[in-house]
Amino acid sequence: MATSPILSPSLTTYELLRQHGVSRRQFLSFCAMTAASLGLDAKEVPRVVSALETKPRLPVVWLHGLECTCCSESFLRSSHPIAQDIVLNMISLDYDDTLQAAAGHQVEQIRKDLVERAKRGEAEYVLAVEGNAPTRDGGVYCTVAGETFLDVLRETAAHAKFVIAWGSCASNGCVQAAAPNPTGAKPVHECITGKPIVKVPGCPPIAEVMTGLLTYVLTFGRLPELDRIGRPKMFYRQRLHDKCLRRSFFDAGQFVESWDDEGAHKGWCLYKMGCRGPTTYNSCATFKWNGGVSWPIGSGHGCIGCSEEHFWDDGPFYERLANVHLPGIETTPQTIGVTLAAAAGAGIAAHLAGLAIQRARSKSQAATEKANTNSEMEV
Amino acid sequence: MDVLAQSRRRRLYEPVLVWQWPIRIFHWVFASAITVLFVTGIYITHPISNATGEAGGLSRMATVRTIHFTAAAVFTIAFFWRVAWFFLGNRYARSGFPQLWLPSWWRSFLRQAWNYLRHDYRDVHLGHNALAGLSYVIVPVLGGAFMMGTGFAMYGESNPGGFWDSLCGWIRPLLGGSFRTHTAHHLVAWFFLVFVIVHVYLVLMNGTQQKNGLISSMISGRKFRRIEDSQRTENDDGQGA
Repeated sequence: MATSPILSPSLTTYELLRQHGVSRRQFLSFCAMTAASLGLDAKEVPRVVSALETKPRLPVVWLHGLECTCCSESFLRSSHPIAQDIVLNMISLDYDDTLQAAAGHQVEQIRKDLVERAKRGEAEYVLAVEGNAPTRDGGVYCTVAGETFLDVLRETAAHAKFVIAWGSCASNGCVQAAAPNPTGAKPVHECITGKPIVKVPGCPPIAEVMTGLLTYVLTFGRLPELDRIGRPKMFYRQRLHDKCLRRSFFDAGQFVESWDDEGAHKGWCLYKMGCRGPTTYNSCATFKWNGGVSWPIGSGHGCIGCSEEHFWDDGPFYERLANVHLPGIETTPQTIGVTLAAAAGAGIAAHLAGLAIQRARSKSQAATEKANTNSEMEV
Repeated sequence: MDVLAQSRRRRLYEPVLVWQWPIRIFHWVFASAITVLFVTGIYITHPISNATGEAGGLSRMATVRTIHFTAAAVFTIAFFWRVAWFFLGNRYARSGFPQLWLPSWWRSFLRQAWNYLRHDYRDVHLGHNALAGLSYVIVPVLGGAFMMGTGFAMYGESNPGGFWDSLCGWIRPLLGGSFRTHTAHHLVAWFFLVFVIVHVYLVLMNGTQQKNGLISSMISGRKFRRIEDSQRTENDDGQGA
């Protein structure tokens, strides 16, 4: 191989794959699988093939903020045999401080040069953000090469074609933004303005969702249709609940009530064990995980809703509803409800007791004094 | 004139049509819907027991949800029916409305609260008193609007991009996602229980203390007004006096 893949954005994905020894047959099978996962018609497969054959790879700057790198880990484990090769070759990864071989000032220079060229209109790139930016105290809680991540993010986003927010951190804050959020971590859309942002939430997002999104962007040269909060509809349109293999047990009214009970053995619905399937939008029920091996609900554990906003705060994971946080108290909604109803009952009892006392008093008064006709009428 | 005046003087009470039939129908339909919604809602949140047998032949949760959704449709129709009758109905249909910008409303409100506390039921209203009016606006009206909004936002989830999702789906992100919407919907349901407890208690209390046919008025529509009270009709209530 004459050139390093990182430094040769002019090569198409197909050319690069051929260099890596991928056969045309394997390549076509990947295209067909990806097209299917994007929900494209079979006649659209040639478009995917042609895009990967002819279009220069997507130059991507991949930033890492406050995060655990599980998105990258997931991405690297894309399931299709050649996807392992294609995922990093599909894009021209011009900057990725976790994966790149180069280091130090040199690598920061690559990013700055790219931003500078884009500013002059000589280059185009897509910004992929993994993790988010702490904003408290000037953003000092996450610094890269001596700059705060917040600055790096804003500077790089300013000239990007569009922004991909990988994972729950970038999309909605995830654990570092959970209460009490000591570093003031904010998801990408709260840090930058004026750029199209596509959110790919999940902790991590499913590898096929990530590669699927990139394939779509490369094939059609635009972002896919997004839902209300900026997620690609093709992957986040439906709740897990609506495609769940245990759904028939939900509708039947058969629920697991404790781990390892009869219902758990029979594979009943995990709704009462706190499963977040009914409120979680993701593709787990479709793609599953680890190359389609299984997924949480398939393995007998409820969904924890990792692609949903606030999922860390809305605990406990094994309760049907989130606890309600009141000043000094954390309790369940039904405890609040029952307490309020009991308070109403107690108030009524006290009110009635007041009436009884009042009557007893007015009776004894009436006995001593001459009866007051008005009050007699009222009572 | 004299004859009429005499006959009026002889009677102590006269019937007054307070609740027109659309209001009475609304009341009972709405009350039934709330009852069904609360009971089925509690089951949906905490299904107390498991159905036995093959899942394929069972539909307990599905049935309860269908009943919940049907009752929700009834609730919604009744809600807007009542709102329409706020404008179309007689003066009592608007009585007690919290006119928070009027000092007279606040005086009436505070007097009513004080009267309840000391068990003074002499201040008879034909329509809603100010305190009742406020409580109706808080729980069934604002609470009801919240329940309909969140309810249909969740109903729409099973058909993304469909009618209900397009109409109400924006409420979910507003409340911090689908899960928080579920929790909020469940929490507010309990306020309806508290409302019903207090409402029924005060109806029974006023009805038995005032003896003006308050309880039966929600069936017959009529309350009884003391003749001497009717001499001062301007004061008897209409717009929250």
